[in-house]
Amino acid sequence: MSSLFERENVDVAWCPGCGNFGILKLIREVLEELEVDKKNSVIVSGIGQAAKTPYYIDVNMFGVLHGRALPVATAVKLANPNLCVVAEGGDGDMYGEGGNHFIHTIRRNVGIVHIVHNNMVYGLTKGQASPTSQRGFVTKVQVGGVVNEPFNPLAVALSLKAGFVSRVNIGDTVHAKEILKAAFRHNGYALVDILQPCPTFNNTNTYHWFKENSYVLDDTHDSSDFNAALQKAFEFSPMPLGIIYQDKSSRDIFERSIRGKDAKPLHAVSHDVSKIQDLFNSY
Amino acid sequence: MTIDELKKYNGQNGARAYIAYESVVYDVTDSPLWKNGDHMGAHVAGLDLTAELSDAPHSDEVFKEFAVVGKLERSEQISSAVQTPKTQEHQKESHELFKSKLKTWYKTYHPHPAAVHFPIALHLFSTGMDILFLIMPNEAYNAGVFYSFFIATVMGFVAMVPGILSWWINYNFLIHKVFVIKLIVATITLLLGVVAIYIYYENPHIVYEYSFEGILYHAIVIVTGLNVIILGYYGGKITWGYGRYQTLYEDSKKVLNIAKHESAVSYHDASQSISILIGGAAGTGISTLEKILSDAFKESGFYIFSTKEYMSRVRGGSNTTLIRISDAPVEAPCWSVDISIALDLPALEHMKERWHENTLVFADETFAEKKANIVLVAMKESAKKFGSPKYANTYIAGVLFGLLKIDKSSLLQSIAEHFKEDNTNKDVAESGYAEGVKLENLTLPKLPKSDLEGVKKLHLMDGTTACGFGFLAGGCNMITAYPMSPSTGVLNFMADMSKHLNIAVEQSEDEIASLSMVLGGWYSGARAMTTTSGGGFALMGEALSLSGMTETPAVIYLAQRPGPATGLPTRSEQGDLNMSLYSGHGPFPRIVLAPGSLKECIDYGYLAFEMADKYQTPVIILSDQYLADSNSMIKDVDFSSYEQRSYIVQSTKDYVRYEDTKNGISPRTVPGFGDGLICAVGDEHDERGQITEDYKMREKMVAKRARKNDELTAEAIAPEIVGDGDIAIIGWGSTFGVICESIKHLNNPRLAHVHFAWVHPLGKEQLKSLERFKYKIVVENNADGAFANQLKLHDVKIDNQILQSNGFNFFVDQLSVMIEKSLKEFS
Repeated sequence: MSSLFERENVDVAWCPGCGNFGILKLIREVLEELEVDKKNSVIVSGIGQAAKTPYYIDVNMFGVLHGRALPVATAVKLANPNLCVVAEGGDGDMYGEGGNHFIHTIRRNVGIVHIVHNNMVYGLTKGQASPTSQRGFVTKVQVGGVVNEPFNPLAVALSLKAGFVSRVNIGDTVHAKEILKAAFRHNGYALVDILQPCPTFNNTNTYHWFKENSYVLDDTHDSSDFNAALQKAFEFSPMPLGIIYQDKSSRDIFERSIRGKDAKPLHAVSHDVSKIQDLFNSY
Repeated sequence: MTIDELKKYNGQNGARAYIAYESVVYDVTDSPLWKNGDHMGAHVAGLDLTAELSDAPHSDEVFKEFAVVGKLERSEQISSAVQTPKTQEHQKESHELFKSKLKTWYKTYHPHPAAVHFPIALHLFSTGMDILFLIMPNEAYNAGVFYSFFIATVMGFVAMVPGILSWWINYNFLIHKVFVIKLIVATITLLLGVVAIYIYYENPHIVYEYSFEGILYHAIVIVTGLNVIILGYYGGKITWGYGRYQTLYEDSKKVLNIAKHESAVSYHDASQSISILIGGAAGTGISTLEKILSDAFKESGFYIFSTKEYMSRVRGGSNTTLIRISDAPVEAPCWSVDISIALDLPALEHMKERWHENTLVFADETFAEKKANIVLVAMKESAKKFGSPKYANTYIAGVLFGLLKIDKSSLLQSIAEHFKEDNTNKDVAESGYAEGVKLENLTLPKLPKSDLEGVKKLHLMDGTTACGFGFLAGGCNMITAYPMSPSTGVLNFMADMSKHLNIAVEQSEDEIASLSMVLGGWYSGARAMTTTSGGGFALMGEALSLSGMTETPAVIYLAQRPGPATGLPTRSEQGDLNMSLYSGHGPFPRIVLAPGSLKECIDYGYLAFEMADKYQTPVIILSDQYLADSNSMIKDVDFSSYEQRSYIVQSTKDYVRYEDTKNGISPRTVPGFGDGLICAVGDEHDERGQITEDYKMREKMVAKRARKNDELTAEAIAPEIVGDGDIAIIGWGSTFGVICESIKHLNNPRLAHVHFAWVHPLGKEQLKSLERFKYKIVVENNADGAFANQLKLHDVKIDNQILQSNGFNFFVDQLSVMIEKSLKEFS
């Protein structure tokens, strides 16, 4: 079925049954329903199966290097704060290779939507463990099963005071759509960690497994309560889904702090040469 | 109050709104134009807006109505960059003074906007009336048309005069599309006006007739109505920003005419110079002493060159700074010095090898003994007498001036400027001066003749600052960098400039983020750059490759220092050429520039941005610690001569990012600028930017990128050659000054200086000029002779190499000896 945000003439490279199909459809629908202007939207992605998603969405895109979508997206937003900017990729790309950028992008509170496809495996490179793989997960490289502590993106984000921290399961598209829309509406950095299966390389964390090991947060959870959020972030059996934490108060947003209220796109900015002349003449 | 205190009064969250202008702080809270501390969406309260006023459509009269609530204390950094009007007047000639007065008058009374709306309104009225007349001819309408048209034409003349005045004083008669169009259209309108009035006077009845004159009359009335709309449109463009003008690749001529150095180094054997070496521990004020002395010497009319060597530490160790004063412009240091000032014992030891037989050495009696050439000066005791050991440096500055019998007024002026808060320094300097005058029985080095007129016209600065101005001229409006010696100076400079100009500054978490942000910036339309040194650049390899594949421009300022690894972090070498050439996997076009003088720092800083934008390629501009930290003098630079071009196109719905064009350059757009979408991709891609593995498409894209490389190679700038001899002394980058002077010193007509500032890609045309040389010697401040190897790769025969890798750049006296030795091997 065709939608406004469907790019024509593309060759979708995913395996049948891949969770990415659901996420692709979800993002297209959210963009359309929120009436996002495609000309003023940019999705930046790194490398991986997840990172192929924006190739199939009819918006501006920048396909960069493994792990480097966040700094690129940060600068895209900084140069033109009027753009709607999304950084998208997988858990290896965003939490492994790009781990340092994950930390500092949150510190900056850049106004982007950060979509991470979390399938607990490296799909494109055929089955190695990813930072979020569970202990004991056996692969061709981790032959005795993963021994490292899984990366906890929600806790890391919260420890850096991220203003919007959420997790969804692509198996529940209705709930996922509601949360993703909230992320787009949030003013500032918004993390959406999307649990999805990789039917080809991860036979442990399947649609069924995710359903059994997660639950949707209801009104009993106050998403503005930071301490409650921290507790939720360390729950794993089952994992909480929804907006773990959201700070709706106005806080400094990176591009506004640097560029100020007058946020003309930088391609429209050129220097007053007479000012440069005066500064030079002062030497 | 201080700048930081002022920041709090931003008019938000209940705070009052204050702004500062020329050190006075005004309360603008109650002004309707400053609601919530926001002024016209262009400025916010809580800032020093002194530098912004020249941009404003009003003059400083607007401050009269506001209450003064305090004075602004300026930090040294700001005051060095933004002058108070007093100093401006002092330096400007009377012509410039007149012009700036006229400019202020113009901004207060706005004669052109005041007058031009009359002819615009009257012409439009006249046109409207004429259309009514043509529908229903009658005498009343006719009169309406004619009289309004008549006055419109007269007022057109009246309005054009201040318009041309404005073009002169505000834009220096800049030849730009906007002004050319306005001039032509205005002239046509006035001429047509005269013609129509003449026609009417000859025969007023013509307006009712279908004759040639009649039709011409009506046509003119209507056309002039359209003309004034055009004039108004372009008038608006001037006022509300035209910014960079769009350049198309097909008709973009060569970006910059790099002029040959106009005898920048005219130092010759008859010239006289004194080299003064000052040594001491880090943190003891040596760099302050260097600044004080440099400014004082400049005020006294001496040409100056200064350079420093320092250890990788913040306190302790032994650093030296060298100041060379001369009667002609100098751009290189000497190893052997004429005067040596030791501020502590380690310095005395450290500087020993720099002395020749007549060097005068000054040291304090507390750590030195009276020996042959050592003059004991009671620096520490005198400082103590005045109340603090920190006065020792000011004291020795006074001694130096007294010793050389230079008029002390320039020293005192320099001290007053540098130590605004502490008047004791003046007394300390006076005391030192008195002491210096008394020193007898010393063989003094000959004092160079001063040239007050000549030196006054020059600007004293270091390579860091000059590169910074080059980047500003190139339109840099974003810098994302990770601090690393010796490149941090440029990051600091641009951050300081962001207080006066619209530049986004961010310190990244690592060098990978630095260059990734640069690419994100350019993708989105910024002119972005990063700064780094060798080790940081090593981390940028993959992103460099991404720049090449996605054809996203990038500008990287790489200030070199000796490696490998941490190496000598605060010293100098030309050791990263190979890495600049080969870093980043896969072949893709790149440009490597290496300025060697202040003027080249500016020219090539500008060029880096233009080339990056035009060819959508990474540009690496190489400097090194020596060039970055050495101060020399530069003539006036006219920044309006650097054309403000933009290579961004407005996209249409069918836009594709990687259009396969003849010259390999695919028109580049940015998100939100037009109806198209951009797909920039690091995988191999088709013209749309979709991933492809089709081998034919791969071949096409590889060929396209290669064609781009050929195009930009054709723009390679030829080396500058000085001298008619048959032996070429070839250098690149920062060795410019020292090679130039060494050759002059050797006074051998067979020697010619060949200086490369455009280092890669080397083109056939560019290298043609080397064909005439019988012998070629390449001088490089490294151990691997990387540039000589590049020349060899291009079939240039190299006969000898002079290399040095010890943390120092070359010294004139030493290099001259090395060149002479090298020559012996031929003749």
